Amino acid sequence: MSDTHPEIHERWILKTELLWSFGVGVFIAAALGMILFTALTISVNPPSNVERIDPKGLHLSGEFAEHNLGTTVTDGSVTVRAIATQFMFLPRCIAVPANRRVTLRFASPDVIHGLLITGTNVNTMVVPGFVAQVHTEFTRTGDLLMPCHEYCGLGHSEMWATVQVLPDDQFKPGPDGRISCAQR
Amino acid sequence: MQPEQPSPPENSEAADGVDETALAGVMRTVPLGAAILAGSAVALLVAGYLLIYILVFIPRGTVG
Repeated sequence: MSDTHPEIHERWILKTELLWSFGVGVFIAAALGMILFTALTISVNPPSNVERIDPKGLHLSGEFAEHNLGTTVTDGSVTVRAIATQFMFLPRCIAVPANRRVTLRFASPDVIHGLLITGTNVNTMVVPGFVAQVHTEFTRTGDLLMPCHEYCGLGHSEMWATVQVLPDDQFKPGPDGRISCAQR
Repeated sequence: MQPEQPSPPENSEAADGVDETALAGVMRTVPLGAAILAGSAVALLVAGYLLIYILVFIPRGTVG
């Protein structure tokens, strides 16, 4: 064919390439459409909060002072504040309710850390000078591991915390709206 | 005196021993096979992506 009818062969190649391009185009459109659909219907987005905070005075006053850390329920909305520092998370155990929207807020006073919560899509960096914020909903109850996943120094492998996902009947914040793992 | 030049073969088919008709027949089916192979590989990749997205990523809950 290539020797006898080069034009037909060229046309055949062009047709095949156009068909392939069409298939790839359909797949890219479908993948983008799926991402857009899940973003609009069930709010699946990459965490993209840009909020500055002074890392030098983090523990002294303001949102991330020691008495503010942990889980707080205000007007029904659940917010968790934690500090990622060399080489621990403060607090080391975080209590959250199952099947409710939770806002997780993290800050670092020293170096870049990162975290993920096993079995969930929570995964973010914690950069000094910025507040890392993730919204999520925990669907399974139980204790989940939350390790640091960004190498932060010699003690990096020892840096982890526990996220305790409690069913509704066990998630009982105190009169100040606060709840910790010990109150279980 | 001119050096002796090797004379080109009179019949190229005879020189490489390939039957041009058989070659044309093979060239008709080889690109189709390549397209099927590439298509299957990409289809498997897309199926893997979709399975992980739908069966693992989405059940892990929303994040944003």
